[in-house]
Amino acid sequence: MQTLLPYLPSLLAIAVLLPLGSFCAILLGAQWLGAKGKFAGTLATTAVLASTVLSFFSAGIWFTAHPAGAVDHAAHEVPPVITGHGYTLATLAGTNVGINYYIDALTIVMFCLVTFIATCIHFYSTSYMHDELDDVVDQEALLEDGESLHRPGRYARFFQSLSLFCFSMLGLVLSGNYLMTFVFWELVGLCSWFLIGFYVERTTASTAANKAFIVNRIGDFGMLVGMMALWGSLGTLNFGDIDQQQGIFSQVRGEENHYALKVPDGMVRLAAGRQIEALALHATEPLTTEQLAAKVNAEMPVWREANLGYGLLIIAGLGIFCGCVGKSAQFPLHVWLPDAMEGPTPVSALVHSATMVAAGVFLVARSYPIFLPEVLLVVACAGCITLLIGASIALVATDIKRVLAYSTISQLGYMMLALGCGGWAAGVMHLVTHACFKSLLFLGSGSVIHAVQTNEMPQMGGLWRKMPWTAGTMLVGCLAIAGIGIPSVFGLPIGLAGYYSKDLILEQVYAFRSENPLWGSFFFAAAAGGACLTAFYMFRMWFLTFWGEPRAAKRFDRAHESPRVMVVPLVLLAILAVCVAWPAFSWFGLPTLSRSIEQARPAGIWADMHGALWHITLPEESKGHTAAVTSPVGLIELGAALAGIALAALFYAWKVLDPEDVSRSFHPLYHTLYRKWYFDEIYQAVFVRGTMALAHCASLLDRLLIDRLVDGLARLGVGLARLSDLWLDRQGIDGLVNWFAEQTYRLGSALRTLQTGSLRQYVMLIVASTVAMFLLISFWTLALTG
Amino acid sequence: MDNLALYIVTSLIFMPVVGAIVLLFLPAENKSLLRWFTLAITLLVLLPLLGIAMPGADWLSFQVGDGGVQHVVQLSWIPSFDIQFFLGIDGISFPLLMLTAVISLLAMGASWTIDQYVKSYCVLYLLLLAGMIGVFLSLDFFLFYVFWEVMLLPMYFLIGVWGGPRRQYAAIKFFLYTLVGSVLMLIALLMLYFNSDLRKLSPQQLTASYVAAWDNGGNLLSAEKYKQQLEVSEHAVHTFNILALQQLGQNSDAFDQRLLYGKSVQWWAFVLLFVGFAIKVPSVPLHTWLPDAHVEAPTPISMILAGLLLKMGGYGIIRICYPICPDAGYDLAWLVCSIGVISMVYGALAALAQSDFKRMVAYSSVSHMGYVVLGLGVWSATAGNLFDPTAWNMGVKGALFQMIGHGISSAGMFFMVGVVYDRVHHRDLNQFGGLYGKMPVYTAMAMLLFFAGLGLPGLCGFIGEVFVVLSAWNFSPTLAAIAAAVVILTAGYILWAIQRVYLGPQYHGPHEEALTEINRREMAVAIPLCVLAIVLGVFPAIVFRYMDKTVDRQVTDLTRWTEEVKLPRLRAAEAEADQEVAANEP
Repeated sequence: MQTLLPYLPSLLAIAVLLPLGSFCAILLGAQWLGAKGKFAGTLATTAVLASTVLSFFSAGIWFTAHPAGAVDHAAHEVPPVITGHGYTLATLAGTNVGINYYIDALTIVMFCLVTFIATCIHFYSTSYMHDELDDVVDQEALLEDGESLHRPGRYARFFQSLSLFCFSMLGLVLSGNYLMTFVFWELVGLCSWFLIGFYVERTTASTAANKAFIVNRIGDFGMLVGMMALWGSLGTLNFGDIDQQQGIFSQVRGEENHYALKVPDGMVRLAAGRQIEALALHATEPLTTEQLAAKVNAEMPVWREANLGYGLLIIAGLGIFCGCVGKSAQFPLHVWLPDAMEGPTPVSALVHSATMVAAGVFLVARSYPIFLPEVLLVVACAGCITLLIGASIALVATDIKRVLAYSTISQLGYMMLALGCGGWAAGVMHLVTHACFKSLLFLGSGSVIHAVQTNEMPQMGGLWRKMPWTAGTMLVGCLAIAGIGIPSVFGLPIGLAGYYSKDLILEQVYAFRSENPLWGSFFFAAAAGGACLTAFYMFRMWFLTFWGEPRAAKRFDRAHESPRVMVVPLVLLAILAVCVAWPAFSWFGLPTLSRSIEQARPAGIWADMHGALWHITLPEESKGHTAAVTSPVGLIELGAALAGIALAALFYAWKVLDPEDVSRSFHPLYHTLYRKWYFDEIYQAVFVRGTMALAHCASLLDRLLIDRLVDGLARLGVGLARLSDLWLDRQGIDGLVNWFAEQTYRLGSALRTLQTGSLRQYVMLIVASTVAMFLLISFWTLALTG
Repeated sequence: MDNLALYIVTSLIFMPVVGAIVLLFLPAENKSLLRWFTLAITLLVLLPLLGIAMPGADWLSFQVGDGGVQHVVQLSWIPSFDIQFFLGIDGISFPLLMLTAVISLLAMGASWTIDQYVKSYCVLYLLLLAGMIGVFLSLDFFLFYVFWEVMLLPMYFLIGVWGGPRRQYAAIKFFLYTLVGSVLMLIALLMLYFNSDLRKLSPQQLTASYVAAWDNGGNLLSAEKYKQQLEVSEHAVHTFNILALQQLGQNSDAFDQRLLYGKSVQWWAFVLLFVGFAIKVPSVPLHTWLPDAHVEAPTPISMILAGLLLKMGGYGIIRICYPICPDAGYDLAWLVCSIGVISMVYGALAALAQSDFKRMVAYSSVSHMGYVVLGLGVWSATAGNLFDPTAWNMGVKGALFQMIGHGISSAGMFFMVGVVYDRVHHRDLNQFGGLYGKMPVYTAMAMLLFFAGLGLPGLCGFIGEVFVVLSAWNFSPTLAAIAAAVVILTAGYILWAIQRVYLGPQYHGPHEEALTEINRREMAVAIPLCVLAIVLGVFPAIVFRYMDKTVDRQVTDLTRWTEEVKLPRLRAAEAEADQEVAANEP
């Protein structure tokens, strides 16, 4: 297997390109793909299945070459990475911008995760989207006369978008520089737009799609700023070193500095632009560029001491994180994700819970080497707030998909919190486990919705009798997300997937707390409380859906277990949700999840980090694994989960407490939660209205000011021309000419009186004029000679 | 063979003129003959350019390794003022020439809907084409000016005769705006001409800038011989040669005399030229001719207007303003960049407020062309950046790519608006909806082109936008951040328009029965645009390969100029200021 290592990039590239091929084939040839494009589903599924096979094969190659657990971070070994160059987009004065790849264990794990879940969901969709094979009557898209809309099915279009999504997501995972990341980042956003707005006729769907895209673009704006700061100062956007050209990571955490974080020279230089200019202008002798550069290098330690460039690195980090805030639906840009549930349920499972929204977490994990402690604190705060907001709204939501959506937001908050507290592996681990059980939960909810034709939980109940498989697998999902597990059996903790990752997160936050009591206490309280809330709302959902008596008899009667092609993916994902994180695989020589992730730990993320501007210390991750931390945290976590489940059971299973009563007694709070903390209303009033008002101002300015000015100038020109016509031409020049003509005429008539016909008078005139002329001429000659 | 190449280059201009003359003798009733003939002529312009674009034939191919001008055609035209018929191609003009030929061909394909006065339309169309090709080809400033004006008149008639209800107003507005720009350019042109002096150039510089003189027998003089002739001349020898003016601007003090208010000749020339070109781009606040002209012009003319005419402004800035007046360019870079950013923001905001489909697309052009101005202006190769040309290089390349990308996407967007306008005869964004169901193929293509305008990766609008924005940081982080924020507004107006026009349950406007799927002729226009949008987005190198060397060279020259000429000046000014401070201290 090891000999195949050089082909790994090509294998993964093929895995990326296969779904693209399927997309193109469906886009251009839908009408030849069987009746109503039935074959499109098969085509897309085959493509993604092939990608899965390739991914797992690549994983085999990778972990044979670099056994998981072989890299010893205690000895500060650098993780194995393969980087390389795909093709060049442009050459700019010696630097290249292009398509690169960056492969490490994280890439491999993400590849396996994305392709496996995508395959399950493709299979599931072939059945779930079955209605689209025939003409569809869309009950939710009403025509003006109140009729439901009839339209042809769009089975092929669905799989077309799904294929494009798989391509973009895999490309994002493989990408080796920020520009390429940004490219695929936008492309997954586009796919999300297509898929949320799949029911194009529904105004709610297209509005939700636009909202998702635009809110994501706000994040992308931040990401662009971060990229600018990096590009402007470092002259490269590559993650790793390619062909001796230093990438960003090695400039920030250089080998010579023992991989500790240091503001790179380029950033110091860019931040010191003014000082450099002063050097050049005030030097006594004119300096050549080389001399100037030498002087700058001499000054460098002084500037570095003054923390020049530190702010730039913060901007870069915050910018990149801003992109992640948008994509991962973190506070304050979390508002798009619940609306995204307008899309078909398989889409919610794949795009809006398991993979795309996790891309933000992935990018934070990927960019971890360049994040300063100050930035990470912001990450942790955003995560913490998001985790609480998401969990609190999920408590009261009645739409089954929205409960899951808010739960997703909350879990993404957990991941960010973990990353922000220095728990790199904890955050990534939760990303993987969450993807497994959340896609399971969404597919389960899809199965329910498919059966009862509604999203509203108040109209469900008792469904476990009709749909045992769905109910069972969803119970597994709920237990997994609640993080049920036993802290220690045979020296090893044993539990469902969520247990391991959540435990890691809490441990890390606990360790963080011992270094930074103020922040840490708050974070730990939020994380532990959030764990309780998670268990509560998940079991609330499960009880409301499957337990008790049916609340809508008609819907209950129609309900049925889903066909096998939908149940099998559920079972597969349930198995994953149970055992994906088990450490026991290492007994069979297989790479376990935690060790695989551990192998990808970026160089340098093995020591405490200290902030230079704020007093903040991020503990390195192994500090959370000491017995002093694990035993209390394990108990707290289990206690929180059990308490949440018990509370849910009290309300919804045993009916000891009445939820109506509670909501009435806490009415203002309940209402605020029900209205989602009024985020939508506030954003609508402030940002959307504000922007539209500005837009109308601009438009009015054009019409009322600039255009009037221009028209006025034109009118002024015309007026002036008229005026000149009237005054100058008619009265001035014409007047002069006319006056002259008149005078000539008058002179002529005056002279006419002289013509009397009398000879004596004529002779008299001749004599007089001759004398006059003689006198005139003689005076003239006299004057000339004299 | 060399001569053949030169004839081919010359024919690019004269082919449409000859075509227009032939058209005069064709029967006016036979509309389809007239259209096909015009289409054939535009094709005859495109084919030689394709030949030049292809590698392989050494005598004809564009040499991508050569940063200078190629295929130079040089004839004396008005010897008493040394005005020459001087054409040439380089990496800046060639992509724009290709774009001109392609868009002209496609816009002619879109002209089948013109049914009145077809003959005059075709004649004017070809004259317009000749003017546009001439602008991009000419290297003599006077010739450039002549073509610039030649372009103006047919455009006036094309809007004024074949336009919509307010065509008279739009046409005269377009004409006056552009005329003001031309007059400013003319003043600057004469200022530069009368201050130029060929005696200040060395023989190498004369050779490099193709300064040509002929002896009495009509033979071309060598540079040394001509230099000897110049040496003995008592009076300044003026020139219109753009390349020579560039050499003079960068290597001599020819344009540095004080003129008015303590500013130099080149400062004023730069301002006049920039205003002239900014009208064409158009930049806020000189942009209001554009929405009116676009709304009133017929579809193919809108395509030409947005796809090509606007590019002349950008071309003028990069070809004339910066290289000829570098000192003013350096001092005014902040102004140029600010205008670019203001245009981007303002255009996007105004687009958001429009309810007329075509007006919205027109304002999106204002916004997108702002990127071009910003990219051309980001002169970041300063002392503070240790004269690192990378960012500026990226900005200029991004701006040039943006011109090409916008040429494709805006022409496409206008065409797509035209397709639906031809069917339902209205453009009110609030009276559409549901076209997805009625015209799926059309909708797919329209979405693709609108997404190209939105700057989606993988399509032609992305590369230009992202390069320009990335490059702006080293010039001014604030401007760069504002520029980056425009991506949000762009997404807003484009997606909102898509939602209102293409999505939704049903069409609610007049003439619903007329909404039929896009026909074959329209497909023939739309498909090349879509394909180009994708190909340029995925393989931008096919454009960059032509412009790389020329842009590298120009940026390197100007960086060298900053280092060797501007820095000492700044030092001197600084020293003077220091002395003054020292003198004023008690």
